[in-house]
Amino acid sequence: MSGMTRRSLLGAGAAVVASAVTAPAVIGQARPRVVVVGGGPGGATVAKYVARDSAGAINVSLVEPSAKFVTCFHSNLYLGGYKTFEQITHSYEALTKNYGVNHVRQTAAFIDRDEKRVRTTDNTILSYDKLVVAPGIDLKYDSVPGWGQEHEQVMPHAWKAGPQTQLLKKRLDEVKNGGVIVMIAPPNPYRCPPGPYERVSMMAHVLKASGRTNCRIVIIDPKETYSKQGLFQDGWETFYKGMVEWLGPKVHDGLKSVDPKTGTVVTGFETYKDCALVNVIPAQMAGKIARDAGLADASGFCPIDPATMKSAKDPNLFIVGDACIPGDMPKSAFSANSQAKVAAMIIRNELTGSRTFPPRYNNTCWSLIETDNAVKVGGRYEPKDGKISAAETFVSKTGETAELRKQTQEENIGWYSGITTDIFG
Amino acid sequence: MLADGYRRLARAGSLAATLLTAPGFAQAAVSAEVKGDRELGEYLSAQCTTCHQISGRSIGGVPSIVAWPEDQFIAVITSYKEGQRDNETMRTISHSLSLEEIAALAAYFGSLKLTGQAQK
Repeated sequence: MSGMTRRSLLGAGAAVVASAVTAPAVIGQARPRVVVVGGGPGGATVAKYVARDSAGAINVSLVEPSAKFVTCFHSNLYLGGYKTFEQITHSYEALTKNYGVNHVRQTAAFIDRDEKRVRTTDNTILSYDKLVVAPGIDLKYDSVPGWGQEHEQVMPHAWKAGPQTQLLKKRLDEVKNGGVIVMIAPPNPYRCPPGPYERVSMMAHVLKASGRTNCRIVIIDPKETYSKQGLFQDGWETFYKGMVEWLGPKVHDGLKSVDPKTGTVVTGFETYKDCALVNVIPAQMAGKIARDAGLADASGFCPIDPATMKSAKDPNLFIVGDACIPGDMPKSAFSANSQAKVAAMIIRNELTGSRTFPPRYNNTCWSLIETDNAVKVGGRYEPKDGKISAAETFVSKTGETAELRKQTQEENIGWYSGITTDIFG
Repeated sequence: MLADGYRRLARAGSLAATLLTAPGFAQAAVSAEVKGDRELGEYLSAQCTTCHQISGRSIGGVPSIVAWPEDQFIAVITSYKEGQRDNETMRTISHSLSLEEIAALAAYFGSLKLTGQAQK
């Protein structure tokens, strides 16, 4: 539970947003207030859907410091040279202009659950009737021995899209033929389960396309298995023979340390010296604002009611996207978007009495292995046994025709355009 | 009249050839007589708009599903549900839909106007 009182909250020199501190919402008397913390696929979708579908009946504020959002999804296609950085960057302008969302360009600093208020870093106070917490992930900078936030310029993670993504591409482009690249893969649970392995595929694609086929990419993985494993390994063997080596924990015997100064990675199996590039993807947890508000459990992520996306710890709060514990759903943009629509429906019902329907959850994750060769994994989900449970799942198969793989990539391209329009358009 | 998205789907598979003789088509044709619940369809459409654009704009391998005749919309979704078409994403989603819900989606998407442009 929050430890900040109303007095201390307001006593911090708060600059008050007039529209957000009106009297408590009473249907028919004042517009109810929804505050959304975080403008990623989850948060921005809730903001848009509540604002759009309530047609002005609900005051929606989106607390997000950035003017534009760079998507982690398809950032691997940027790395692979298939997309420009601009093509994975999206403005919030349509949300404000078309749907009346109030974009508060601040970082949420504190959630006062007792007083139902959010304070931002510039001490703006936003009162809410319903709060959506969608901060995404924080990286556990202490999860890789020898590596920390101060080393992310030398050994980039690029697991939060933006300058890190551009840095990783720059560093990849500088790797000389024959250089060794090491990826430290993350433990479960983490954002975008196939993401690290699609990234390796895109690295290999870039190296191969530029004639640097004597390079080697070594994946040091703490997991025994990973998403689409057979598909990726088959793809690497087919397209990048001898360039990619995946090592599970039984082989590498644990990551002992990394040394950013010398570009060294030490495992129980082998020491990799003078690495041309080390991509450290550390362990992850829910964004700080959610953890500080007491919404996370021992896992570091936030439990939810699977029928509503409400926090299991506070029925006035909703948690969507990577910060929540989504049961069988993976942490993906598709999942976040799907969860957000359920949350938006419940919020509108509780604030304006709109009709409710049974929740529907879906996900598909596409991964590009080589040009015109994509695979996918996905499923549909339903609230069951206290979690969001898989009702039906699928995954691409090895040995699929080139035509099908190409169609899957075309679908991937169409999906990206569709979901970014659904979120930001 | 076939909408553009429907034509593209028909080209992508053998749907046009098989639909009229498929068992699902007869069932779908019957269900088209049921008036779709547009409000339910609007809610369910959020599952579709993660990929299919509400403007009807078609990008890459994701066709427009806007402004189709309702009976054709029902027939296409039913063909996924009954296994005559095999896109895994569509098959999975169609399995979660009852005929009433498919009719609702058809009513909703059928009521929309195309405003977007198809692109490669």
